[in-house]
Amino acid sequence: MSPPPAFDATRRYRLHPQVALRPEPFGALAYHYGNRRLVFLRAPELVELVRGLGSRPSVEDALSSLPEARRPAFQRALASLSRSEVITEVGGD
Amino acid sequence: MPDTTTMAPSGPASPIGGNAAAEAADHEGQGLLVEDDMLVEEISIDGMCGVY
Repeated sequence: MSPPPAFDATRRYRLHPQVALRPEPFGALAYHYGNRRLVFLRAPELVELVRGLGSRPSVEDALSSLPEARRPAFQRALASLSRSEVITEVGGD
Repeated sequence: MPDTTTMAPSGPASPIGGNAAAEAADHEGQGLLVEDDMLVEEISIDGMCGVY
Protein backbone atom coordinates (compact mmCIF):
# COMPACT_ATOMS: atom_id res chain seq x y z
CA MET A 1 0.00 0.00 0.00
CA SER A 2 1.51 3.29 -1.08
CA PRO A 3 1.84 6.02 1.55
CA PRO A 4 -0.53 8.98 1.33
CA PRO A 5 0.79 12.05 -0.48
CA ALA A 6 2.36 14.84 1.55
CA PHE A 7 -0.11 17.08 3.34
CA ASP A 8 -0.82 20.31 1.49
CA ALA A 9 -2.84 22.91 3.37
CA THR A 10 -3.60 24.77 0.17
CA ARG A 11 -5.59 21.81 -1.08
CA ARG A 12 -9.07 20.64 -0.18
CA TYR A 13 -9.44 17.65 2.14
CA ARG A 14 -12.34 15.66 3.51
CA LEU A 15 -13.02 12.91 5.99
CA HIS A 16 -11.99 9.62 4.40
CA PRO A 17 -15.09 7.67 3.32
CA GLN A 18 -13.87 4.58 5.19
CA VAL A 19 -13.56 6.46 8.47
CA ALA A 20 -16.27 6.51 11.14
CA LEU A 21 -16.29 9.24 13.75
CA ARG A 22 -17.78 8.45 17.14
CA PRO A 23 -18.43 11.49 19.32
CA GLU A 24 -16.93 11.31 22.79
CA PRO A 25 -16.83 13.80 25.66
CA PHE A 26 -13.19 14.60 24.85
CA GLY A 27 -13.81 14.95 21.11
CA ALA A 28 -14.18 11.83 19.00
CA LEU A 29 -12.82 8.43 18.10
CA ALA A 30 -11.96 7.92 14.45
CA TYR A 31 -11.80 4.37 13.14
CA HIS A 32 -10.55 3.60 9.63
CA TYR A 33 -12.22 0.43 8.35
CA GLY A 34 -9.62 0.09 5.62
CA ASN A 35 -6.31 0.31 7.48
CA ARG A 36 -7.90 -0.47 10.88
CA ARG A 37 -6.32 2.49 12.59
CA LEU A 38 -7.90 4.01 15.66
CA VAL A 39 -7.25 7.68 16.29
CA PHE A 40 -8.31 9.91 19.15
CA LEU A 41 -9.35 13.42 18.22
CA ARG A 42 -8.88 15.12 21.55
CA ALA A 43 -10.66 18.39 21.00
CA PRO A 44 -14.25 19.08 19.94
CA GLU A 45 -12.97 21.94 17.80
CA LEU A 46 -10.81 19.50 15.86
CA VAL A 47 -13.77 17.20 15.31
CA GLU A 48 -15.84 20.08 14.01
CA LEU A 49 -12.96 21.14 11.78
CA VAL A 50 -12.59 17.64 10.32
CA ARG A 51 -16.32 17.27 9.72
CA GLY A 52 -16.43 20.57 7.86
CA LEU A 53 -13.24 20.12 5.83
CA GLY A 54 -14.96 18.87 2.71
CA SER A 55 -17.12 21.96 2.46
CA ARG A 56 -14.17 24.38 2.43
CA PRO A 57 -11.99 25.07 -0.61
CA SER A 58 -8.78 24.38 1.29
CA VAL A 59 -7.43 23.46 4.70
CA GLU A 60 -6.14 27.01 5.09
CA ASP A 61 -9.65 28.31 4.57
CA ALA A 62 -11.02 25.85 7.11
CA LEU A 63 -8.39 26.92 9.65
CA SER A 64 -9.32 30.56 9.22
CA SER A 65 -12.32 29.99 11.48
CA LEU A 66 -9.97 29.30 14.38
CA PRO A 67 -8.07 31.83 16.47
CA GLU A 68 -4.77 32.57 14.77
CA ALA A 69 -2.75 31.38 17.75
CA ARG A 70 -4.22 27.89 17.48
CA ARG A 71 -3.94 27.42 13.73
CA PRO A 72 -0.41 25.95 13.62
CA ALA A 73 -1.26 23.24 16.11
CA PHE A 74 -4.48 22.37 14.33
CA GLN A 75 -2.68 22.28 11.01
CA ARG A 76 -0.15 19.86 12.48
CA ALA A 77 -3.04 17.78 13.78
CA LEU A 78 -4.61 17.68 10.32
CA ALA A 79 -1.27 16.68 8.80
CA SER A 80 -1.11 13.83 11.28
CA LEU A 81 -4.65 12.80 10.37
CA SER A 82 -3.66 12.86 6.72
CA ARG A 83 -0.74 10.50 7.41
CA SER A 84 -3.16 8.17 9.19
CA GLU A 85 -5.53 8.52 6.24
CA VAL A 86 -8.33 9.76 8.47
CA ILE A 87 -8.63 12.68 6.08
CA THR A 88 -7.85 12.55 2.40
CA GLU A 89 -7.31 15.07 -0.32
CA VAL A 90 -10.39 15.61 -2.44
CA GLY A 91 -9.71 14.25 -5.87
CA GLY A 92 -6.51 12.67 -4.69
CA ASP A 93 -7.81 9.09 -4.30
CA MET B 1 -49.65 12.62 61.59
CA PRO B 2 -46.01 13.68 61.15
CA ASP B 3 -45.30 16.78 59.14
CA THR B 4 -44.00 15.57 55.76
CA THR B 5 -43.21 18.95 54.31
CA THR B 6 -39.56 19.40 53.49
CA MET B 7 -37.59 22.46 54.33
CA ALA B 8 -35.91 24.33 51.51
CA PRO B 9 -32.12 24.17 51.89
CA SER B 10 -30.50 27.28 53.16
CA GLY B 11 -26.98 28.58 52.70
CA PRO B 12 -24.83 28.94 49.55
CA ALA B 13 -25.95 27.33 46.27
CA SER B 14 -24.62 23.86 45.50
CA PRO B 15 -21.60 23.97 43.18
CA ILE B 16 -23.27 21.26 41.11
CA GLY B 17 -26.22 23.49 40.40
CA GLY B 18 -26.21 27.17 39.65
CA ASN B 19 -22.46 27.84 39.68
CA ALA B 20 -21.46 25.00 37.33
CA ALA B 21 -22.04 26.98 34.14
CA ALA B 22 -20.14 29.95 35.48
CA GLU B 23 -17.24 27.74 36.56
CA ALA B 24 -17.14 26.06 33.16
CA ALA B 25 -17.10 29.39 31.36
CA ASP B 26 -14.38 30.64 33.65
CA HIS B 27 -12.37 27.47 33.05
CA GLU B 28 -12.70 27.89 29.29
CA GLY B 29 -11.39 31.41 29.57
CA GLN B 30 -8.38 30.37 31.61
CA GLY B 31 -6.94 27.76 29.28
CA LEU B 32 -7.32 24.56 27.32
CA LEU B 33 -8.17 21.24 28.83
CA VAL B 34 -5.89 19.58 26.29
CA GLU B 35 -2.76 21.21 24.97
CA ASP B 36 -2.86 21.87 21.27
CA ASP B 37 0.12 19.63 20.66
CA MET B 38 -1.88 16.69 21.96
CA LEU B 39 -4.85 17.05 19.64
CA VAL B 40 -4.37 13.73 17.86
CA GLU B 41 -3.37 10.39 19.31
CA GLU B 42 -3.16 7.21 17.30
CA ILE B 43 -3.72 3.98 19.14
CA SER B 44 -2.26 0.73 17.89
CA ILE B 45 -4.77 -2.08 18.16
CA ASP B 46 -3.03 -4.65 15.96
CA GLY B 47 -3.11 -8.00 17.63
CA MET B 48 -5.35 -6.85 20.44
CA CYS B 49 -8.47 -8.50 19.13
CA GLY B 50 -8.87 -12.03 17.87
CA VAL B 51 -12.52 -11.92 16.86
CA TYR B 52 -13.40 -11.23 13.20
